[in-house]
Formats: sequence, C-alpha cells, structure tokens
Amino acid sequence: MSSRVGALFVYFRTVTQSRRHFFDFLFKFLLAIVILIVISPFFLVLIQVASIGFQQVFGSGPGQGLEFFTTFPGVGLAGGVRNAFVGTVELVVLAGGVGIPLSVFGAVYITEYTQAGWTRAIVEFTSDVLAGIPSIVFGAFGFAFLVDFLHLGMGIIAGSLTLAFMMIPTVLRTTQEALRAVPMSLREASLALGATKWSTTWNVTLRAAFPGLITGVLLAIGRVMGETAPLIFTAGNNLSVPTSLTGSGSWVASMPYTIWAYISDPREYLQAKAHGTALALMIMVLTIDVVANLVSRKVTRRLV
Amino acid sequence: MSKEEIQAIDHSESESEVSFIHRLKNRIVDPFDDFLNADRSGKTDKAGKVFLLVPAFASTLIIILILAFLLFESTPILTSPVGGPGIIVNPTWDPNRNLYGIAIFVVGSLLCTTIAIGIAVPVGIGGAIFLSEFCPMRLRQPIKMITEMMAAIPSIVYGLWAYIVLVPYIKNVLAPSLQNNPLTGWIPLFQGDTNGLSLLAGGVILAIMLLPTVVTITTDALQTVPTSLREASLALGATQSETARKIVISAALPGVGAAIVLALGRAVGETMAVLMVTGNSLQIPYTLFDPTYVMTSIITNQLGYAFVFPLWRSALFAVGLVLMIMSVCFTLTAKLFIRWGMKTRGYI
Repeated sequence: MSSRVGALFVYFRTVTQSRRHFFDFLFKFLLAIVILIVISPFFLVLIQVASIGFQQVFGSGPGQGLEFFTTFPGVGLAGGVRNAFVGTVELVVLAGGVGIPLSVFGAVYITEYTQAGWTRAIVEFTSDVLAGIPSIVFGAFGFAFLVDFLHLGMGIIAGSLTLAFMMIPTVLRTTQEALRAVPMSLREASLALGATKWSTTWNVTLRAAFPGLITGVLLAIGRVMGETAPLIFTAGNNLSVPTSLTGSGSWVASMPYTIWAYISDPREYLQAKAHGTALALMIMVLTIDVVANLVSRKVTRRLV
Repeated sequence: MSKEEIQAIDHSESESEVSFIHRLKNRIVDPFDDFLNADRSGKTDKAGKVFLLVPAFASTLIIILILAFLLFESTPILTSPVGGPGIIVNPTWDPNRNLYGIAIFVVGSLLCTTIAIGIAVPVGIGGAIFLSEFCPMRLRQPIKMITEMMAAIPSIVYGLWAYIVLVPYIKNVLAPSLQNNPLTGWIPLFQGDTNGLSLLAGGVILAIMLLPTVVTITTDALQTVPTSLREASLALGATQSETARKIVISAALPGVGAAIVLALGRAVGETMAVLMVTGNSLQIPYTLFDPTYVMTSIITNQLGYAFVFPLWRSALFAVGLVLMIMSVCFTLTAKLFIRWGMKTRGYI
C-alpha cells in the first residue's frame, strides 16, 4: 500500500517537473473525462428506462410482470403488450428466414466461387451502399414496391421482407469475412480427398466459419429488431396478433412501433407502458449483442 | 500480295469463324453434357453453383430496385410545372396550395447534422485516443463492450430518453440559464422562447447516437498503426500525449476520415429519435432553441396521408431520393478514404 502511495508521489513529482510532462498528464486526464462522457449516455438511458419500466416488466401487479407479455392491450390500452411482443418475434423470424439464407448463399458464392474481380467488387460495393441507406428510405421503398406495386398490401409479409432487405448487408459482409478467415489448407484437404466443391463448402468451410456466421446473424437480428421507420408504412399496427397473411388481418404490431405510439399518446399511464416495452426491447437487443460478442470476438463489426 | 498469302488469310479467317462457333457451342452445350454425364454429387455441385448465383446479386438487385422506384415515384414532381428540380431550393412547403419546396427540410437536416458532428467528432476522437493509447488494459474491454452496446440500442429508445429527459431539461434548465445569464444572454444563437423541442435537442441526441460509431471505427483505425511508429517517437523523447497527437493520429488519418464520413451518413439518415425531439415545425431555425423539420421526419409524418395525392406523394419520394443520393455519396467518400489509406500507408 505504502509503495503504491510512494509510486503515486513519484509520478506526481515527475509530472510537475516540466511543462511538457505536466501537459502530458493534463491531456491524459482530460481524455479520461472524455471517455466517461462518451459512455455516460448508456447508463443515463438505462437508468431512466429501467427506473420507470422495471415495475412493468418485473412487477407483480395486474398487467405487470409476465402478464405484461401475455395479455393484449384491450380497452383503453390498459393491458399488456402481447401484440407487440409476438409481432416483433414473428417479423424477425420471417425476416431472418428470408434474409439469412439469401445473404449467406450470396457470401458463399462470391467468396468461394468467384475470383477477385468485377463480380466480387460489385457485390461488395452494393452491399456497402445498402448498409448506409437510411431506414426511412427502406420504409418508403417497401411501401412503394411491396405494398403498392406488388399489391402485397401492408402487413406481416411486406414488413418482414423490408426488414430482410435491411439484414442482407450485415450478414453478407460478416459471413464473407468469416469465410475468408478459414485456412485454404482445410479446403484443399477436403478437395484432395475427392469431395466436390459443393460438399467441401457446406461440410468443411461453412462449418469452420460458423461462429463468425452466427455473430453476423445475431448482429443483424439485433439491428432489425429495434427498427421503427421501415415498419410504419409496411407493417401497420394491430391490437391483436395477425390472423391471416393478406388483407387487414395481417397487420402486425412491433415493440418499437408500440413505444412510439404510446409515448406520443397524451394518456399518462401509457408512458409507464412505453418505458416497460423499451426496457424489454433493450434487454432483448443487448442480450443478443452480448451473445454475439461471446460467440466470436474475432469478427470485427465492419462498418464500411 | 501473293495468292498464297490471300489464301492463308482467308483460311485463317474461316478457321477462326469455325472456331468461334465451335467455342460458342462448347460454352453452351458442354456444361449441359457435363451435367448430364456427372454422377449424383457432381450434379449437386454443378447445379449448386448456378443456384448460388441468384442470391449473390440480391443486394445489387435491391439497390437497383430502390433507385428505380425512388426515381419513378419522384418523376411527377420533378417534371410537373409546379415542381421541377427547383423544389430543392424552394423553402415553401404547403401541399394544400400545391407548393412543394423541400429546402426547409434539407436545411434542417444539415443544421442538425452539423451540431451532431460538431459534438460527436471531437469527443469521439478524444475517447478513441484514450481507449487505444492510454487506457489501462483492465478497463479497455469493458469500455469497448459498452460502446458496442450503445450502438445496438434501438433509436426509438434514444428518442424516448430524449423526449422524457433531454427536452424538459432544455426547456426548464438550459434555456433559462443561458438566456438569463448576462454573459451569454446577448448571443443571438440562444434567443427565443422554447418548449424544449428544438434544433439543439435533435443535435444532442444525434451526437449521442453517433458517438459509438465514431469511437469504434477510430479506435480500430488507431490500433492498426504499427507499434514501431510509437516506439520511434517515444525514443526521440516525445511524451506519450505528443506521440498520440502528432504521430498516431496522423498515421491513422484515413481511418478517422472514414469514421467521420460514416457518422455523417448515419446522422442524415437517422429517423425516429430526431422526429421525436425536433418539434417538426415548418420553419428554418435561426437559433439553437427553434424547432426544425428534417428530411426523414417529413417522410415519416406525411407519407401515410399523402399516398393518394400524386404530387404530394411524389414530393415525399423526391425527399427520399435526396436522402438516398446523400447516403451513396457518403459511402463512396468513406471508400475513397479507405483506398487512400491502403495506398499511402498499407493499412487503414
């Protein structure tokens, strides 16, 4: 203990010896404060949402705790948010069902079956562009193309297809990255044993790249789960769960949309429900993010 | 020219023609023959390659479709006499009188983005320098994890927080204290009554949402700078902070540039959080406390009503087209930064 105090004392003596060393100390100290400022919003948001929403999600009163997820809003929206919870799960499952195979197959084709050239460059470039497109543009596109042009109508299909489009760049680029990290010798060993390229890809390469693939999939799911803007004009809203695949019975609620609808409602008690929904959504998204990190730390979040 | 030579030329021409047809035939017919002659696993292999070709171009197809539909939908307003390309500099938006100027939204978006970038870039780069250069090893991983979690929080949750906490704070604490303080009360930027829903609120919440992007990408860029550069600088007697400021940052400049451009793209395209806190009033903001209207908000708020009015709807899609063009430009610029980094430094 005393040696530590001594070391600290020596450090402060060094620091105050010259102007340059004092400035060095000051710079580091300032940056330490800056990093605290950077991460403080996370805790501010978490505390605000949890302090009001905790009672809703984990409380034991009527319409709280488990009932919050198992009852429909009902009269005056006084009940739970089962419609939103079920709707989000359905949307994400459907979007994943379309988006994940599409992007994984695409990544397999451009990494395994093409040489570096214009094919690969085009696919990489377009998926990077796709990753940067604002979510409301996806919403407007989904409205113009799926709802209006293809006559799918608003509902679960149009909503989940729009979300699937948004998943493609994330999954494609992380899968590609993971496939690229698989050593060539694994593929060569499989080919040398007489396997075709197809079975090598599915049984050897993809299996070796699986942790990276899962990470990409989880990151994409976490991202689309919290999207509101693409769903406003494609999925609509519903106080119950969708009962059909077309028509107005297929309209579907989602948790982000419900938060938005409740927070802009003048009724006071809906604020608490909005916080509860936000807390539940945050817990889901952050859990997915942590799991993605645990599965594979190596996959960097490619942002470009 | 002798006869043999002419014959030789003719001969070679006819031969090349034959070989061309032959080659074409080979290109088309041989794969089928191969496919039919192959055994079962060989057939799977060959069919699989064709089957994978379709998903590979899904992203390209979607981009083309998005561009085509935005252009197609915004054609009516761009060709109509009341609209035309001039709507981008016309500040009057009044669909009831057939006035579709979108300049207000463009200006609102740019101002919000400027404030957000002005806050997020210095703070984010500072945080990234700390994280990459000075942070104790034990703290680095948790802090990185928190910034990644911040990137994962849905924008609607940020919007909720800003609406419940930030907006009342600006209304009740920040605006009165700045306006009543004789030191800052005279500054034109701080004038005006406010209900908290303002340009400033939008800029601040955007900055908070951009921070994880800037910090993560900049940290990655700083950590790819070779240690030898730092060692050389320290060996010459520079302090750690001088090394970080003068050597590491300039070596990682392309990566930092890419981080800023990508943050710009996110800021312009952010929808829900900004929609909830900027007040959505049809005016050009002159002070920080004035409400404003951004491009993403106008689409979100009005597309639901406008879709039966061709011109109105078309004007909203024109806003979407502007957003799309901006985001493509930002992605291209980020790519250029990365190419610059690879060319001059060999890393990014």
